[in-house]
Amino acid sequence: MRRLLGGVPWPGILILAVLVFALPVVLPPFGVSVATEIFILAIFAVSLGLIIGYAGLVSLGHAAFFGAGAYTVALLGERVANTYALLAAAVLIGGLLALFSGALFVRTSGAYFLMLTLAFAQVLFAVAFEARSVTGGGDGLSVAAVPNFGFGEVTGDYGLYYMMAAFFLGCYLLLRLFVASPAGKAVRGVMENESRMKALGFNTRSYKLLAYGLSGAIASLAGALYAYFNFFVTPDLLGWVFSGQALIMVIVGGAGSLLGPAIGAGFFLLMQEYLSSYTERWQLVMGLIFVAFVLVGRGGVFDLLALAFRKVIPRRIRREFGEDPSPPEPVTTQKEKAL
Amino acid sequence: MSPLAVRNLNKSFKALQVLKDVSLEVQDEERHVVIGPNGAGKTTLFNCIMGTIPLTSGEVLLDGRNVGTLPTHARVPLGMSRTFQKNNLFESLTVEENVHLAIEARKPYRFGLFKPLSWRADLLEESEELLRRWDLWGRRERKVRELSYGEQRLLEVLLALASKPRMLLLDEPTSGMSPAETAQTIGLIQELPRSLTLLVVEHDMEVVFAIADRITVLHHGEVFLSGPPEEVRGDERVREIYFGGGARHDA
Ligand SMILES: Nc1ncnc2c1ncn2[C@@H]1O[C@H](COP(=O)(O)OP(=O)(O)OP(=O)(O)O)[C@@H](O)[C@H]1O
Ligand SMILES: [Mg+2]
Repeated sequence: MRRLLGGVPWPGILILAVLVFALPVVLPPFGVSVATEIFILAIFAVSLGLIIGYAGLVSLGHAAFFGAGAYTVALLGERVANTYALLAAAVLIGGLLALFSGALFVRTSGAYFLMLTLAFAQVLFAVAFEARSVTGGGDGLSVAAVPNFGFGEVTGDYGLYYMMAAFFLGCYLLLRLFVASPAGKAVRGVMENESRMKALGFNTRSYKLLAYGLSGAIASLAGALYAYFNFFVTPDLLGWVFSGQALIMVIVGGAGSLLGPAIGAGFFLLMQEYLSSYTERWQLVMGLIFVAFVLVGRGGVFDLLALAFRKVIPRRIRREFGEDPSPPEPVTTQKEKAL
Repeated sequence: MSPLAVRNLNKSFKALQVLKDVSLEVQDEERHVVIGPNGAGKTTLFNCIMGTIPLTSGEVLLDGRNVGTLPTHARVPLGMSRTFQKNNLFESLTVEENVHLAIEARKPYRFGLFKPLSWRADLLEESEELLRRWDLWGRRERKVRELSYGEQRLLEVLLALASKPRMLLLDEPTSGMSPAETAQTIGLIQELPRSLTLLVVEHDMEVVFAIADRITVLHHGEVFLSGPPEEVRGDERVREIYFGGGARHDA
């Protein structure tokens, strides 16, 4: 069965799709807009989760690609109306930026990679901030383009919801296929054991670069979608704070799976909505929650739920449900000897 | 022409010169064993031959072509592969996934982006054949770290074989194995096709004399002696260095 599916959880994807498309029925209008933003940030988080969880590359500058995509739509959108062309341009620009910068960066790893990606994003931030005549500098830029896929303009909360939901599902499916593909498997292999991959004859650097380029292209697509959603772009979309938030989404959701970071994005945005209505210091609270996640739930939300399950529900009850994670201690050999 | 030759190879780690002017010729279809006390430089020699580490000077000739400056991944497709003295596997992947990666490396679709790897019939077939031949078929869905040490050691060799090399380098294939596992491994090595040329580092004399057509003795990074097994076995000086100094094994 697993073989037939090629390692891609098709039934799960189908269920996810049905849920996503039915969701607006039960959500209040305000919730629909929040959910729409979650989908966009989920695409972004998933793209970052790909390089962290499947290629072992931890970036602190991933907003560079998100921002590049957003500015592509904002700037080119003044001249070009075609949505397909704009999105394709964003994907291309994000992908090429990642490939060219990555060609240098993937030679390093760990803290060096982190710092280089951070520096790269800060350079783009500075450009967006300083080039006032083009980008509007710190004041930002409003987006003139309106999404239109040939079925009329996509407007209103519901229209944008379905558009972003479809893109999220599309990206997720694409990445599912990627991680099951020969190239995706090799990327994972490089993360697991680079020296063995080399000994097997793989050009390991090119796989890291491939993952980084793909991730940049998808992050840029997310940024482009965000420009359509928000009607407005600012240099903050390229800034390190936003990069850091994406990192939090990935870590909170769990970097080891594809969907984890998407859940992390949802969690982050909901918390932000909720906390910011109580306190202006929501970032501080968010930071503390994040620290708790790093300390307790290494594997993100999924692991944390499993942990809570084990801690909260007494073992006796779980045993009655047929689950027994810790079998009784075996009699030690010493005791046997003593007898 | 000899499939593998090493000419005047030198390797230094900073001030420490580990290989001194090493020259070695492996004949076609030969089973060539390198012996020498701990720290003689045997693993370093393998690392230089495969390009795992850069050599300081000298040449590595594969079918007469100098590959000494190529990266490892460019040497493997030319027909050489290696195992590691210390198991070097994908520990959190299954046995089968390990083998799939090893086979994928030489497939034209190794950069394929969409069709799942597990839909490639040719790959599945080759992987099954290898796993069955090496007695790991029953363990294919196990994570590598759940295998016994001996099984991991076998997988180490299997991965190198999956590259379909003409020249195979084995770095102490039986180290740490139980006597029974060692005997099994000797059998498996002897059954390898004669067309596969072997260069083997080994400490276990039983293994050495079971497989060697020719033996090279490495001592302090220099080739001390190279000759047929009988000659090496009878050499007093070799006994002195190897069995006297290290005293790891009896002859
Ligand atoms: N990366 C390295 N940096 C510095 N010194 C090294 C390095 N690798 C090996 N050496 C040194 O080179 C010498 C030879 O090591 P090598 O591992 O090649 O020996 P060996 O013959 O394989 O020994 P053994 O039988 O124990 O496997 C040793 O003194 C070792 O400390
Ligand atoms: Mg060694």
